Amino acid sequence: MGDGAEIVDMSDREEKKKLAEDRISDEEVEKNELVRSDEVRDNEEEVFEEAIGSQEVPKLESFEADGLHEDLPLETTPGNSKDAHEVGDQEEKSEVNVQDIITMGEAESDFVTPRMNDDQGEAGADISFGKTESSLDVAENIEKATSSGFGLAAEDVSMENGNTHSFSENGVVFPEDKELVAEVISMSPWSEETGNDGIEDKNWEENVDVSAGMGTEQEVGQGEVTNENCFEKGFVCIDNESGAQRNGVDYNSVQNASGDKSLNDSIEVARSGTSSPLEKSSSEEKGETEGHGSSGSPGVTFREHETVQKSNGGHDVQHNSQSNKELEQQQDSRVNIGPEIKESQHVEREYDVLSSVSPTESTSNTAASPPTRPAGLGRAAPLLEPAPRVPQQPRVNGNVSHNQPQQAEDSTTAETDEHDETREKLQLIRVKFLRLTHRLGQTPHNVVVAQVLYRLGLAEQLRGRNGSRVGAFSFDRASAMAEQLEAGGQDPLDFSCTIMVLGKSGVGKSATINSIFDEVKISTDAFQMGTKRVQGVEGFVQGIKVRVIDTPGLLPSWSDQHKNEKILKSARAFIKKNPPDIVLYLDRLDMQSRDSGDMPLLRTITDVFGPSIWFNAIVGLTHAASAPPDGPSGTASSYDMFVTQRSHVIQQAIRQAAGDRRLMNPVSLVENHSACRTNRAGQRVLPNGQVWKPHLLLLSFASKILAEANALLKLQDNIPGGQFVARSKALPLPFLLSSLLQSRPQAKLPEQQYDGEEDEDDLDDSSDSDEEAEYDQLPPFKRLTKAEMAKLSKSQKKQYLDEMEYREKLFMKRQMKEERKRRKLLKKFAAEIKNLPNGYSENVEEERSEPPSVPVPMPDLSLPASFDSDNPTHRYRYLDSSNQWLVRPVLETNGWDHDIGYEGVNAERLFVVKDKIPISFSGQVTKDKKDANVQLEMASSVKHGEGRSTSLGLDMQNVGKELAYTIRSETKFNNFKKNKAAAGLSVTLMGDSVSAGLKVEDKLIANKWFRMVMSGGAMTSRGDVAYGGSLEAQFRDKDYPLGRFLSTLGLSVMDWHGDLAIGGNIQSQVPIGRSSNLIARANLNNKGAGQVSIRVNSSEQLQLAMVSLVPLFKKLLSYYSLQQM
Amino acid sequence: MGSLVREWVGFQQFPAATQEKLVEFFGKLKQKDMNSMTILVMGKGGVGKSSTVNSLIGEQVVRVSPFQAEGLRPVMVSRTMGGFTLNIIDSPGLVEAGYVNHQALELIKGFLVNRTIDVLLYVDRLDVYRVDELDKQVVRAITQTFGKDIWCKTLLVLTHAQFSPPDELSYETFSSKRSDSLLKTIRAGSKMRKQEFEDAAIPVVYAENSGRCSKNDKDEKVLPNGEPWIPNLVKAITDVATNKRKAIHVDKKMVDGSYSDDKGKKLIPLIIGAQYFIVKMIQGAIRNDIRTSGKPL
Repeated sequence: MGDGAEIVDMSDREEKKKLAEDRISDEEVEKNELVRSDEVRDNEEEVFEEAIGSQEVPKLESFEADGLHEDLPLETTPGNSKDAHEVGDQEEKSEVNVQDIITMGEAESDFVTPRMNDDQGEAGADISFGKTESSLDVAENIEKATSSGFGLAAEDVSMENGNTHSFSENGVVFPEDKELVAEVISMSPWSEETGNDGIEDKNWEENVDVSAGMGTEQEVGQGEVTNENCFEKGFVCIDNESGAQRNGVDYNSVQNASGDKSLNDSIEVARSGTSSPLEKSSSEEKGETEGHGSSGSPGVTFREHETVQKSNGGHDVQHNSQSNKELEQQQDSRVNIGPEIKESQHVEREYDVLSSVSPTESTSNTAASPPTRPAGLGRAAPLLEPAPRVPQQPRVNGNVSHNQPQQAEDSTTAETDEHDETREKLQLIRVKFLRLTHRLGQTPHNVVVAQVLYRLGLAEQLRGRNGSRVGAFSFDRASAMAEQLEAGGQDPLDFSCTIMVLGKSGVGKSATINSIFDEVKISTDAFQMGTKRVQGVEGFVQGIKVRVIDTPGLLPSWSDQHKNEKILKSARAFIKKNPPDIVLYLDRLDMQSRDSGDMPLLRTITDVFGPSIWFNAIVGLTHAASAPPDGPSGTASSYDMFVTQRSHVIQQAIRQAAGDRRLMNPVSLVENHSACRTNRAGQRVLPNGQVWKPHLLLLSFASKILAEANALLKLQDNIPGGQFVARSKALPLPFLLSSLLQSRPQAKLPEQQYDGEEDEDDLDDSSDSDEEAEYDQLPPFKRLTKAEMAKLSKSQKKQYLDEMEYREKLFMKRQMKEERKRRKLLKKFAAEIKNLPNGYSENVEEERSEPPSVPVPMPDLSLPASFDSDNPTHRYRYLDSSNQWLVRPVLETNGWDHDIGYEGVNAERLFVVKDKIPISFSGQVTKDKKDANVQLEMASSVKHGEGRSTSLGLDMQNVGKELAYTIRSETKFNNFKKNKAAAGLSVTLMGDSVSAGLKVEDKLIANKWFRMVMSGGAMTSRGDVAYGGSLEAQFRDKDYPLGRFLSTLGLSVMDWHGDLAIGGNIQSQVPIGRSSNLIARANLNNKGAGQVSIRVNSSEQLQLAMVSLVPLFKKLLSYYSLQQM
Repeated sequence: MGSLVREWVGFQQFPAATQEKLVEFFGKLKQKDMNSMTILVMGKGGVGKSSTVNSLIGEQVVRVSPFQAEGLRPVMVSRTMGGFTLNIIDSPGLVEAGYVNHQALELIKGFLVNRTIDVLLYVDRLDVYRVDELDKQVVRAITQTFGKDIWCKTLLVLTHAQFSPPDELSYETFSSKRSDSLLKTIRAGSKMRKQEFEDAAIPVVYAENSGRCSKNDKDEKVLPNGEPWIPNLVKAITDVATNKRKAIHVDKKMVDGSYSDDKGKKLIPLIIGAQYFIVKMIQGAIRNDIRTSGKPL
């Protein structure tokens, strides 16, 4: 195999990368110092490049996909796809926004749209002011975004602004909801993971800027710790999460699991790594980083709450030190634009650290260079090497003993008593494992054994609160203890292992079981289906209790998969009570299944048991004594080569079937033939000299032991060992909570569609009569023509305009009033009709049941100015139909495909059941090259009693790779005129975990000017509870839709895992003069991150000149922020 | 088409004893006025079709790769020796990801247009214990493609013959059991009647293509039972080729599969009639509707 070539390749790559990065960093520094205000532009470019990078990374690295290293490049891909997905989501969201805006404001659309489509036609003057750098960038980007990469994010911002904008102008929209979400989410960036909320854009932007900023900072060497750091970290984690959850695959979770612990621990490790890099031998250093790297990503995953929510400066420093360390060691840079490598997103950066670690690892693995570290201990490498790599043993031997004491020296802090008990138990596990090893006749220096011991040590180290020492003596002592105990004879150990055997029919499952127990437990027949049903077999092997579950053989053909399903389901029922510790998937070594013939049954296994079954699976290759086939030249190929190839094929197939490209199932060889060569002890020996049975058992026991250790240390639930039957993921509780707290409008009957505000406006009824009368009493007024206007003097003009405005206002008010009255009348009329005898009402009903003659608004996408081939919009106009199903395509203009950017379909419909119960349905399905997204929402509401209504909803959406189903119900009480209360419940099912939530909401309408909404709620899942609350107060003009004054104050609190996140948001909109608006917004959270933005918009053409002020302001601001720093 | 007809160089590679026997068999064929013979090799993927072809020719004519899927196209190898032409057509595996690869079958059929198949070698492994649904499907697919008659010109070749059977079974018992189960599958898959199948009397030959195959003192590759297998195979091939059955000629009609449509011919006027009435009915209904509803929409 081209190991040598590969090594060269890798190092080459690293070199290049380094160079590129150096170059870039220099540039960065220059730019940074010289033109501060240009940074934004740089950022844009960077992001753009990143976006490209996200497409290119997999391609670039794919050359590695071979042999041992194949998992390395793949690591980046999940991140990529995730990002792509996010981008997609944002885009999707923005798309929707565009449509919203267009439907909402006719007059406004001229105003907003140009800005969204193209920044050239910016009409309003946006002046932003940033306190922190990040928010400054965001604000600036609003204006700056021009091209695709950053365009996505920035467009969304302008979109958002557009929203508030139209809100001010039209007064028909209810943006409160949106705003509320904005706060909640900007406080809790982890909800990013779900990638569904429009406001995540905000995080995204901040992050984009921040990361760039950070990169430069680090390069300059300022090492200044800002809040951005914490942001970035948090962000990185988020994307890692999905990956981390699957990490159990690598048997890594001893390290992974550290995620649960507080940040301190993992940082402790990092610190211990940094503190004395010089004292360590190079090998140790690598091992350390590697170890850390592997725990790094998952650790980070959970660290996010800490970092993001606490905003504890100290933590950040530690982060930094850690990342610096990584920087130093791996020559990885924070600047994420290596042109060669094109790191795509923040995620990649984290991954990149890992992947740049890995080459060194693999180098040490493959080259026969001086010992570095135990083979295959890397993050991505399997715990257990494919079996026939025995020759590595001696190298490993010297190494392990060499390695462990050093680790011990690393940590300098004293051990505490509180963990002594745990340590004692761990020690017992170690002893147990060594005893098992001994019984199986393996030395502690066996590869597998060494790895397990190493992992145990690492787990202990990570677990210890103060980085407690793993004494070198723990191993020696354990070993001594084990020997002593073993000397006493083979008394039964307190250990049992359950193995479930799966595989094709006729590969030798039952025979393997017989071989394991060395007696015929199950009768076999070469030509008959030996095993008819799932059965458990128990026995002792060397005094170790082993329980094996034999299953009937599976069939390879697609047409037989229902039979397989039946078999597997019975197996699933069988293992329900007693889940197996390990799954042994058997196949024949001498079958050349190059036609992916096993795919159907592997798929079926995955479907029935879930992909997690593969996390704990060992591949067994039976008929291992068979001779390798002839090679292409007709000469026999080597046995080892044959085994490797064959294992590779099966591992690949499993990976594909499980949909997890990082899976690397250990392979064990099996030979059940009675004619198999045996050694003196009567054990069967394979052609490569391996005694297979102890190896197979050792592999099984090792993973059981690791599972036990995990359970003991109560590590995170992505334990590789143990119950794959009920593996769960931590639900993003805060996200669910915030979506629960969000107050939703209830579904309404079609005829009530337009009286949305009715209930609120009830209040206003009494007051206006005098003003109305006023309008009627006004003397007649004649509008002047333009020519006449020109003749007026300045003061006259002013008077005229004032008068006109006043009249307009009154007129509009009256119109609104009338409209309201009309609606009310209609309603009354409808109610009366219903009371009328049938014969008459039928007629009316009939008319109503016809498809609404009111044309369904089919918003046309704003067409581009030219019929450019680049813009497909003009090709996809769709018709206005009277069909009640409103179906629209979902366009993504900045997606992968520039030509045909349609990636989904959106369908909406309002049903009416029994003329009483409205059911609204809206769903959206999008699919791009990587991800398919489904979003469905069904809502219904029933009015019962006076002023009480209950709504029921069902949501379905993609959260990461899973589908989350949410059922929510909410009851509103309108008992008092000024107070409305609501209580709601929701249950979410995601994967196999369920979470339930409860909320209470109270809406207080004090008077026309002031209203307030308070809500609080809790969400729980598997003993994990998140609490949250929000408060929103709104002051507005007395006659709000006309008078444009409005200010809102929002506050929200979220508590999860003891982390408190508080965010505040204030927005004020003040009309200045006749045709200008001033909108000021500020938000701040308890991490210290905030944003201030001030916007002035005007519909007077003169004010357009204000646009020219923008660069001026920006310059001033940049001076200001420089001073601040 | 395809490969040129070349002198059979590999023939010289065979041990003298084998050569003698082969010459004898080919002579027999010539006596029956057969100056050329076309052998089609089919079977599932990875059972050793290409290796068998190579063994038969005595040269590495077809690329054999243990872990990569072979090409999708059939390959014809032609060799002449003393006026006799031997054509062997190697075909891609018929199974793809748990399905029968109908596309491959179509390709083979297309390749065979205007050719005559004298013998079909259906290849499978001896050292596999079970037959499953997939085997039956493969047989069914072959039957559908070439017709039932092809099985009268078939030879069942079981590769990987050099192995020791499990469960203390004797070699003879195992191999006979294995061939029986395969033959049963062929019968079931081709849906032949019992009598038909017995008439076809598909012979079974064992083969071992591995370079590790043991050899007798005449340097011939032999099976565990001591028989040299290449002469056996050729003998069986000639026997099948010269049996009374007609060789399968693949013609245009077979490729286009037109005959399969003949079944429905009689229904055509019926359907037309039915259509007429249905249209009438619909028209009537529409008229009725217009009448009753009165005003246009």
